Order: sequence, then C-alpha cells, then structure tokens
Amino acid sequence: MAYVIGIDIGGTFTDAFAADESGRVAATKTPSTPPDFSQGFLTVLDEMAGALGISTRALLSDTNYIIHGTTSTLNALVTGDVAAVGFLTTRGHADSVAIMNLEGRYAGLGSDRVQDMVLTNKPAPLVPPQLIRELDERIDYKGHEVVSLDETGARVAIRELVDAGAQAIAVSLLWSFLNDSHERRLGELITEEAPGLYVALSCDVSPRIREYARSATTIMNTQVGPRLRDYLRPLEAELRERGFGGSLLVMQGSGGCVDSSDAPSRAITTIGSVLTGGVVGCTRLAESLGHRNVISTDMGGTTFLAGLVVDGAPVSTTSTVLNQYQLNVPMVDVHTLGAGGGAIAWVDAGHNLRVGPRSAGARPGPACYGDGGTEPTVSDVDLLLGIINPGNFLGGRKKLSKELAAQAVRTHIAEPLGLSVDDAAAAVYAIQNAQTADLVRKVVVTSGHDPRDFVLYAFGGAGPMHCASYAADLEVGEVVVPLGSTAAVFSAYGLAASDIVLTAELSAPANFPTPVADFNSSFAHLRAELEDRLADQKLKFAHVAYRNEADMRYTLQLAEVATPVPAETVDESGLADIATGFGELYERLYGKGSGFAEAGLQLITYRTQAVGMLPIRPQLGEIPSGRGDPTPSSTRRVFLDARRGWQDADIHDYRDLAAGHELKGPAVVEAPTTTVALPEGCIGRVDRLGNLVIRYTQV
Amino acid sequence: MPVIPVAGSEEFANLPTSPAETRRIVGTAVKLHEVGQSVIDALDPLTYEVIRHRLTSITEEMGEALKRMSGSVVVTDCNDFDAAIMDEVGDVVQVGLYNTELAASLDMAVSWTLRHRAARPGIAPGDMFLCNDPWVGGGLHQNDVSLFAPLFIDGELFAWTGAVAHQVDLGGVSPGSWSVAATDVFWESVPTPPVKIVENGEIRDDIEDMYLRRSRVPKLVALDLRAKIGANNVAHERLHALCEKYGAATVKAVMRRVLKDAETRLRAKLSELPDGSWTSVAHQDSARSGDRGIYKIVCTLTKTRDTLTFDFTGTDPQVDGLINCTYAGLRGGIMPVLLTTLCGDIPWAPGGLYRCVEIISEPGTINNCTFPSGIGKASVASAWATTNVVTECLAGLLDAHPEHRKRLMSVCCGTWDFALLAGVDQRGGGFVTMLCDSMAGGLGARTHSDGVDTGGLACIPMGRVADVEMNEFSFPMLYLWRREEADSGGPGRFRGGVGASSCFIPYDSPLGGVHLVVSAPGKALPLAGGLAGGLPAGTQHDVLLRSTSVHEDFAAGRIPALLSELGGEAEVIPSHHETDLGSADVYFTHWQGGGGYGDPLLREPGAVAADVIAHKVSVTGAHDVYGVVLASDGTVDQDATTSHRSALRLSRAGLDSDRQEVNA
Amino acid sequence: MSLFIDDNLEQHSDGSVTCRHCSHLVGDAAAPMNAARVTETAPRTAGPSVREDAALFADRPIVFRRTFCPECLTLLQAEIVPGDEVSSRHRSLIVGA
Repeated sequence: MAYVIGIDIGGTFTDAFAADESGRVAATKTPSTPPDFSQGFLTVLDEMAGALGISTRALLSDTNYIIHGTTSTLNALVTGDVAAVGFLTTRGHADSVAIMNLEGRYAGLGSDRVQDMVLTNKPAPLVPPQLIRELDERIDYKGHEVVSLDETGARVAIRELVDAGAQAIAVSLLWSFLNDSHERRLGELITEEAPGLYVALSCDVSPRIREYARSATTIMNTQVGPRLRDYLRPLEAELRERGFGGSLLVMQGSGGCVDSSDAPSRAITTIGSVLTGGVVGCTRLAESLGHRNVISTDMGGTTFLAGLVVDGAPVSTTSTVLNQYQLNVPMVDVHTLGAGGGAIAWVDAGHNLRVGPRSAGARPGPACYGDGGTEPTVSDVDLLLGIINPGNFLGGRKKLSKELAAQAVRTHIAEPLGLSVDDAAAAVYAIQNAQTADLVRKVVVTSGHDPRDFVLYAFGGAGPMHCASYAADLEVGEVVVPLGSTAAVFSAYGLAASDIVLTAELSAPANFPTPVADFNSSFAHLRAELEDRLADQKLKFAHVAYRNEADMRYTLQLAEVATPVPAETVDESGLADIATGFGELYERLYGKGSGFAEAGLQLITYRTQAVGMLPIRPQLGEIPSGRGDPTPSSTRRVFLDARRGWQDADIHDYRDLAAGHELKGPAVVEAPTTTVALPEGCIGRVDRLGNLVIRYTQV
Repeated sequence: MPVIPVAGSEEFANLPTSPAETRRIVGTAVKLHEVGQSVIDALDPLTYEVIRHRLTSITEEMGEALKRMSGSVVVTDCNDFDAAIMDEVGDVVQVGLYNTELAASLDMAVSWTLRHRAARPGIAPGDMFLCNDPWVGGGLHQNDVSLFAPLFIDGELFAWTGAVAHQVDLGGVSPGSWSVAATDVFWESVPTPPVKIVENGEIRDDIEDMYLRRSRVPKLVALDLRAKIGANNVAHERLHALCEKYGAATVKAVMRRVLKDAETRLRAKLSELPDGSWTSVAHQDSARSGDRGIYKIVCTLTKTRDTLTFDFTGTDPQVDGLINCTYAGLRGGIMPVLLTTLCGDIPWAPGGLYRCVEIISEPGTINNCTFPSGIGKASVASAWATTNVVTECLAGLLDAHPEHRKRLMSVCCGTWDFALLAGVDQRGGGFVTMLCDSMAGGLGARTHSDGVDTGGLACIPMGRVADVEMNEFSFPMLYLWRREEADSGGPGRFRGGVGASSCFIPYDSPLGGVHLVVSAPGKALPLAGGLAGGLPAGTQHDVLLRSTSVHEDFAAGRIPALLSELGGEAEVIPSHHETDLGSADVYFTHWQGGGGYGDPLLREPGAVAADVIAHKVSVTGAHDVYGVVLASDGTVDQDATTSHRSALRLSRAGLDSDRQEVNA
Repeated sequence: MSLFIDDNLEQHSDGSVTCRHCSHLVGDAAAPMNAARVTETAPRTAGPSVREDAALFADRPIVFRRTFCPECLTLLQAEIVPGDEVSSRHRSLIVGA
C-alpha cells in the first residue's frame, strides 16, 4: 500500500488525514504542542498508525508523501522571533521600508481600527537602522546601468553588517528585476566576505516592480528562511529515523506544496500554509460533487475564513499583507472576516447591540467554557439557543456551562437593553449571520462575481451552526456541509489532496502589445526556471501543467489584473486576443464601461505557475444508503430564526444517518466535530459521500 | 485687483438649510419620503444593527467601485475621493473612510439642488446631478467634482447617494487647474452649480461635453464621471434590495436613528469634558505667486455642556490669490478633525454630528469667501488651515480629560506640498500629474506616544504614495532619494512624526525637461503647531538646483546624497512658483511633519538617542532642542545630559546661571 | 477637585492655575498663563527644523515665542508666528467644571 498523509498544525489541534490508493482513508486529531510543534506532528502519526491498525514504522515506510501545513513561518513573523537580518539597498532609498508607502499605518486593519485613526501606528521597523546600508549603484527604468556598483564600498558595508550582528543578509536594489547584475554581484561579494551566511536577493525572491513590497518580501523571507530550515531539517531526520522513505512536502500559501529541501530558500511562500488547506479541500470536494463555483466558509472558534473557487480553481491573489507590511506572495485569496465563535457581543456607547470585531480568542474563550471568560460570545449564544448540546460538544470532550453563558448574556446584553436573555441571544445570532452575509458578499462581489452563481461550503466547528442563515441572505441556492470521513480534519484532507505548485514571475513593465519576441522569451525564461526547480523536487509526477498569466493594467491605473495567457508561444494576433481577454476580465471585475482603454495598455509582470500532480490523489469513499426517514435521537427547543422564535426541533445523531436521508428544518444534526442547524424552510439531504446538502424550500 | 462683487452670485452663496426649510421650499414639486417617530421608536436592536451594518457595507462598496473604475492616480493611489449615503434632504448618514473633507458639504449641495432644481428641470428617478461649485457645496475647490443621485421608492424621493473625487485637470490658467498666479476665480476652472448630467439613467451628451470641454485630460475626467455613476448605481441597487426586504419605512427609521445615535454619543462625550473656551490660530504664507503676505485664521472653540461652537471672528479678510475657501471649505476643514479626534469610536454620520456644532464666521473672510474670490487650492489652503486651527482647539478640549486625551493629536503635516509635473513622457505621450509623494506627511504627537512618521494627512485616514519605481516608469523622472527627514517632526516630550523629502531630476523626456508648478507654503513659518510646550514641526523646504553636476557624479560612480554635493546654483523656491526643469536641474521638495507634544526637555533621553540612530533627529537637534548629549557610541551621556539640560532650561528662557536676564 | 489642563498645567477649584511640575502659580482660569515668562527669539533658534530664514519669503517679522513656568522654566507653549501679531493662543476652562 502507498499512503499520502496530510498533517495540519494549528494553534490548538494537529490534524492528520491519510489515504491509500484503494480509497481507504483515516483521520486523527491530537493537541498541538507549542513551542515545539514537531512533537504533535510525531504523535498524530502514531495515532494515525493506530487508527489504521499498523505500526508507525509500517505506516511511514509505506508512505510516499507527507504534506505538511505549518504555522512556523507565520508564528516567527508574528512573534518577531526571527533571524537578525542585514539589509543592502540603493543609496537614497533605504527609507522605503520605513515609509511603507504610508499605507503601512493601516494596511490589513479592519475598518473600525482605520476609523480610530489617532490610535493607529506603523509596525516596528523590519530592520533596525544599525543593520541597513545604502550603496552607490543605480539601474534605470529601462534596466540600463546609470551608476556602476561600488564594490569597495559594498565589501565594507557587508563586513560592517556582519560585525553589527547580521545573521543573514537581504539585498534589494532599485530595478533589479530588470537588470539583476548588481544584485548578483553583491551576492558573490557577500559569499566572499561572509561565507555560509544566508543570503536572499530580491531578483530571486520577488522579481516584481514596486520596491517597497519587493524589499519587505525579501527581508521577511530572509528573517524566516533560517528558522524554517532549522525546523524542517531535524523533523525530516526524525521521520527518516522512523522509517520514512518518501518526500516531506510543505504547503504554501499558493495552495500547492513544495519539497522541504526547497522550502527554506523561499520560506515566505509558506506563510499561508495552514490557511489554504480548507480551500484546497473545497476544490477537491467540489470536483467530486460537480460544483464549479464554491464559496468556502470556515468558521472556527477564533476566526472566520472565506475563500472562493471559480471554474474549479481557487481564486488567488498575487500579494498579501502581514503585520501591516505588503508582501509579494502568490496566495489563495483567503479573507479573515471576523472572530468566528469567539466574537464578542456588546452594547456600544449609543446603546446599540454589536457583535465583534473584538474576540475572546482561545484564552479566555467563550463564557460557557468556564475558563474565565465573562463576556458573551457567539458560541455562548449558540449554546443558549439550543443549537449546541452542552453534553455533546466536540463529541463530549468539552463540558459547557449554560449558566455561565446566560449570565454573560444577561449582564452584558439583556439587562442593558431591557431584553429577555432569549431575545438577546436570538438577536446576537441574527446579527452575526447578517454581518457574515455582508462580509462574504463583499468578498464575492469585489472579485467580480455574483453570490447567486455559487454553492456555499461550510465547515469548521461553528460554520454549520450558522451557514443556513447567512447563505440564505446571500441568495445562495445550496449549502454543503462536509460531514464524511473528512469532516473533522477538512484542512488536512485538503493538504493530502494537493499538488506541487511552483511560481516564477518577472516584472518587465512596458506598453502593450510588447514586441512578440520579448513576450515569448519572457515566458520561455520563466518556463525554463520552473523546469529546473521541478527537477530539483526529485519527485515523480502523474502530470505537469503550466499556467501563464500577465499582470496588465490600463496606463496609470493602480489596479493590475492577472490576465490568463496561453501556455504556448503566441503571435501578434495572440497578443491582441490577450488584450481583449484583459478588457473582458477588467469589465467583469470593475463594471461595464469601466476601462480607460484610450490610455492604452501596459503589461507589468509575467508569471508562470507549474502544477505537478502527485500520483496519489485521495478518493473519498461512499457511505451506505439508507431507506425511509431517519429516526431522531431526541427533540429539544431551539431558536434558529428570529421570525419564528422557539420551536421544537428533531435532533439527529450524524452516525444514524445514511445516504439519501432527508431532514426537514427545524432540525439539528450533531456530528462529532460540529453541529448543523437547519432552520424551518430548509431541507437537508445526506449525499453519497456523507455530506449534508441544504436547500431552501422557502426563504 | 480687489474682488468686485458679482450681482447674481447670491443665489449660489449657499448655507446649511434645515430639513424643515428644505421641505417647505420643495413643497409639492417632489414628494419627499418621511417616517414617523413611532416607527423609529419601534425599531428593535436586531433590525437596527443588521440594517446599520448593511448601510456601512454599501458605503464601502461605493468607495470600492469608484476607486476601481477611476483612471486617476489621485483617486486610485491617493484615495482623494469619498462616497456617502444621505437621507431625503441630504443629511449624511454614512461617509466612507477616504478623504472626509470631500463629503463634509454634500448635504449643502443636495439641499441646494432640492431647493433650486425641484421645479425646473425637476428631480426624477434615474437622474444624477453634477456639481463642482464650492459656493454651493459638495467639494472644496473646483477640482472636487461631486455626483449625487436621488433614490426613489414608490414614487417618493427616499434618499440620496453621492460620490466625490478630485479631478486632475478641469482647465484654468495652469496645468492641474492650480493657477498659482490667480487673483480671482476667473483665472481658475469654471465652477459648475448642480446640473442634471444623467437623466433617466442615461448620460446627457450635451451636458457632458460642456463639462469635459474645459479639461486638459477630458478622457480621464470622462472615465471618472463613469466611475461615480457606477458607485451610485451600486448603492441604488443595494438600497432598493434593502428596502424591499425590510420596508422603506424601517430602513429610513434606521437612517434617522443612525443620525440620532451619532449625535447622542457625541453629546455624551462632550458632556464628560470640561466647559471652557480654546482659541488658536493657523497661518498661511503667500496667497499667489509673488505674494509675500502672511494670513491668519483664528478660531475660538467654546464648549458648553454638549455643544461646540467654532467662532472664527478675528480671521483675515479674503485675499487676492487662490488660497481662499468657501463656507463648504470651512466645514470641510472642521469635519475631518471632528471625525478623527472625537469620533474614532462614534459612527461617522456627519448629519448627526453637525447637530452638536455651531459655526460663527463672517462672509468675506479667508475661510468663508464670497464670489469671485480665488479658491483654486482651497482644499489644501484655507480649508486645511482651518483643520490645523480646529485640531489645536479640540486637542485643548480633550487634553483636560484623563481618558479622552488619549485620542488627541497635535497638528498633522501643516499643508499639502503640491508639485505638479507636466510635459511629454518617455514614451512620447503628453502627461499632467500631481506628485503624490507628500501624502506621506508626519502625524501629530499624542499625549502618550510619538506621532506616526510619514504616517499621512489628517483628512485622509487611508492615504498612499506610489513606489519610486512606479513613478519612474510612468513619468520622465529619476529619483536621487526619497527619505524621511531628520528634525522635521515637531520636538516635544512626545515627538511629532517626521515628514520626508523627494529629490529627482527630469529623465528621458524627449523635450529634455519637464514643466513644474509648485504650491507649497509653510516656508516663512511652520504650519503644524505643537501643544503643551511641544514645538511646531519643521518648515516646508523646496530647492531647485540649476545646471548641477549630477550626470558627472553618476558617471563617476557616485549618487549624491546631499544638496551640497550637487554643485549648480541653488534657488530656494517660494511658496507659489511655476517654472521648467532642465535635464541637469535637480528638484528637492521636503514636506512637513507633525507638531510635538510637551516640553522637549522632558523627553526620555534614551528615546532621543534612538531617534538619532534612526535618523529621526540630528545630533544637533538632540543637543540644542532636546538637551541630550550623546557619547561616541551613540548612547546617552547621562551626567552631561543632566547638566546640559539644566543650562538649556535657563538659557532658552533668557536667563543665565544666576537667573539673571540675558538678551536672548 | 483640580483639573489637569494639559501636561503642564493644573486648575484648582478657586480658579488658580499652577505648574504640575513645581506647583508654582502660573495664572488663573481666565488667563492660565498670565504669570508665565515669555521670550521671543529668532525662528531659527527653534532648532534645525526651521530650514531657511523667514525673510526670504515674507516681509513681516517672524518670531519664535516661548512661554515658560516662571519657577521651573518648563516650556508651556511654543509658537512660530508673525511678531507684529499678539498671540491668539489662549484658553479658559470654566472654574469648578
């Protein structure tokens, strides 16, 4: 048997999902073990072997790939536990990473914090002034050398940085993506002056125009590269020790993985590692279910994440914001929309009921956890409304207190507003759902789509308790709650089902159409680079595909649109087709008549993505069919819809359900890891893979 | 030449009008939607919050739509635009987090339109009105063009939506409509009072042509017009759906309550603050090119219980030049500070907030000027100076409260450093662009922390500057540097945020050089004052070096890092100036930081040492202003600092060590 | 109950205003700094932040006006303004507020 295993390490739990070629799958879960997350990694493998009834050694020796989603890079950057980096840049431009295009004061903050402008600040400087040196050298916008590189000065600067404590050096010079000769020469000089030092050049890490994001990306990459290397090397050695002969792969923010030996040199690409598993899982499940367009919503205890699958592929972005810094990292576009079940309900100074954006977080968590939280959260309300069964939360692993939840709602909401506890809880539930609909709608609309063309997938511990309501508000026709073998570990399933994805890009801003030869040679250059890097992965692929795109814009506009480009060479009519494609895409994104075509077109960045499909793709098994109507395990009073108030609802144990079973709302399905709420007017049907598919008979 | 009154201009001298008065004048010409108090009282918390959140989300969507469709860097890069939802008489219920100056007088423009257009040509579904007449409202200078649209539900005018954006050029003597030699409005872009440019959902070609004909970049302006139409359409579609779901009466009840909520909460906050009065002043140097005058705006803020009165008595008369602003500009100067310092945690519903505010100002003064005074740069001249003086007054008010003082800021970047480049770009095309680097001004110091370095401008919570590479790619220029400038933040116990400078040469234009228009005051005196003994930020500083050695330096492998390394002849540029740059000419423009807070001698010496290492403060500044003596390794020499500070304390007060008077 | 006017000044229930650093009387509610020490010097004595001489740009005299606690000489107010203009910066808190 040959296995593929996905391991997803989150802040609280480490999840694993394994599949073999025959379609057999298994899932396990164990607490994470910060700060040394590798302990949890090894424990979950032991539990997986136990679940499959074999030894860990037997499992590992039969495993071809372990695909790992890790927070280590992200954690290092968020906590600032990173390598001391020296930074070399063009004279006159070191302050670019301090000025942060000024947007660094508010980038990535919610609108409530942007509005509170007086309290906003820029983050701590990426590099202390003692570790920055400017060099005499200059390339112009055409890639021509204006000032030669001062090598003597450079050697002095390098030695000063090392003496000042630099453990790694990042180099980012103006226009290096057009002419990398000065950066490459600096790379050589650093190796001569400080052999063995970790070095990153912006022309390698992010050869894209706009020096601020390029420099920030290069510096952050340099900060985490050595740390990721120090995490993966011993982990891989430990796995080998236990009999692992396959490949350890690391998930990237792009939704594809990369070999662990290659990951440290492009460490920054792993910052979205654990965020994207869910969207990839949705993509694979959507393939099985025949859904082309999916809104993926993952509502957990502390976050609410939303992503999109359009035409069968995750919607991606070419950059992201971390710690208020702008980074050039191709990522699956996962939006953090709120605090999930931990969102705190409160009464503002104007006596209005509000939900979020503040969160009770993992500590102290909701009041009902009894861990010291006293403010009411969405999870407390879910409990009070009868949606969560206090005796059966997380399969009975966590006891919840209705009294504490009620006390929190009474003190903070009901009494100040003169409402009953029930009415207060119902209002919080409805506000949370309506807000979620507003935020998800914005994600869909700003990517140029209409929510009515989508199916919504809801997972995470809290998502299925709310999805029927917010999906109705979005006018989505159908909701899928993944409840089969993948339910508990949906992100880990996504990891196990992912591909190798490598991205190469190069800015060469010019008016479009460019000369055909320039255009084709740019993509040929990227293709050659990716072929080399794919070979370096030392893997066998079932299939390799290349996707080309070009970031294009109307002259003078900020918004660049990643426009699909054919994978083969093009002629002049091909270029014209690309321009037409851009215009159509632009109108879809920004509205009819929105393009400033008279200003002309510009092509800013060429990008190619190589997707190497692994030979094993986990197949989800079907569940047995059932006949007749399922028997509820009990009934209880629930409040699922403000218009209908308290109702008696059938409570179903998920284990009693079989394919083909239909449940009419109001009803609640209790699964080991989540609870699904079906308000009146909904019908839930169990599909052949064990998912619950919700449709509306009335809204 | 003094401003000569123009008969017939009175009709456009608009002032805020009460909803009742607007309704009375409109009469039966348009049926205005109304909702009874009982519906407002019956709102439950759930419905209120759900609809309120959706109104916020619609405003955000409008902003997104406008920004994405616009073709202007000023909009897409600098966020110099805004969008708003208003009730049936124009009271602004929700304003976007962009340039809040712009939306501060949309209510005036809508009310004027109701009063003057309801009968002829009429206001009907599918109409949109364009306005860039700052005497009417809807913007601060002619470049601010607003487009507002009535939303009808069941035959009644239910609400208005509006979008405003800065247009790069709408005619006038100088490129960018920034006529630095202007003495009155006739040198500038033509103000256009509200005209129905969209009728029954279609653009009227005749009106559009009349609008675009005046511009040097008509295509760009046409695209922005469509962006604003798009923004209004998005909002109308969403508001229709909202009314369909919850009923128009309920949605309107929520709008009324949002206004009331903002008002109530601001009043509650004001009630917690001590009563008193605070007077301050903001100066501007130079009203037009060649002018060496200095002009003041004086404001006395009186806070009594839960109301604020801004009294501008003592302000200088309007002046020949382009720096005056209208009453709309005056309000545009007040609103951003109200929002950022008093309403960080209160909904941004200006219609409700204005109810707590009374304004006393005499027509014919520099920030309440009459037609045909020049107002070409009103937004960043007298309106901005109004912002500066109001910032100081409100800061004084907040400072007297132990909690609320945490939300005060000293004056941010004292003015807009306007530098406009025009000519032929490296690809042979004509171009006009405002250099937006100076968006990265320093923010004012706070009572518990320093101002944000290169953190932005007071009126735009989300400003942005373009990368050097993007500017070099788009325009014929090559930067020697863009850097934060030491000492430009106002010294204080907490330091004002530093400003920065850009230094560049024309590069690769087929003409060899570029045309330059400068309008950047704050040179004779700094414009961002300090508080509580904090010093003002530094002065604006622009230098043009003619016929430098820059190309020889490049050839020799050197990038000059100081003006003194460049040779050539230095011209210190006055506040208003228009000239051409040649290929070996270097232009240096250095904009302002934010004011300081508290006595600089009380600043923690270690913070000063850190500032010196980070180039935020020079060694001279540390020594002379902060009294901090540094050891050779850059750390604080504690003993020397203590004795130097003692000596400085005496000498700066004009006393010697025996506390005898000395001639300072 | 006394009221902090700002970082440096405190107003007492009798309307007197004192320095928060040395408790010295500086003024009263109507004129909180009327006993303060005022100096006027050239703008460039404010430090290197004033980049050029005002006379390059304006004909009126410009001064750096500073107001100090008469006892401990803490800087209470600093402004760079036309010297031929009386200071407009003033405040007055209602006594007993």
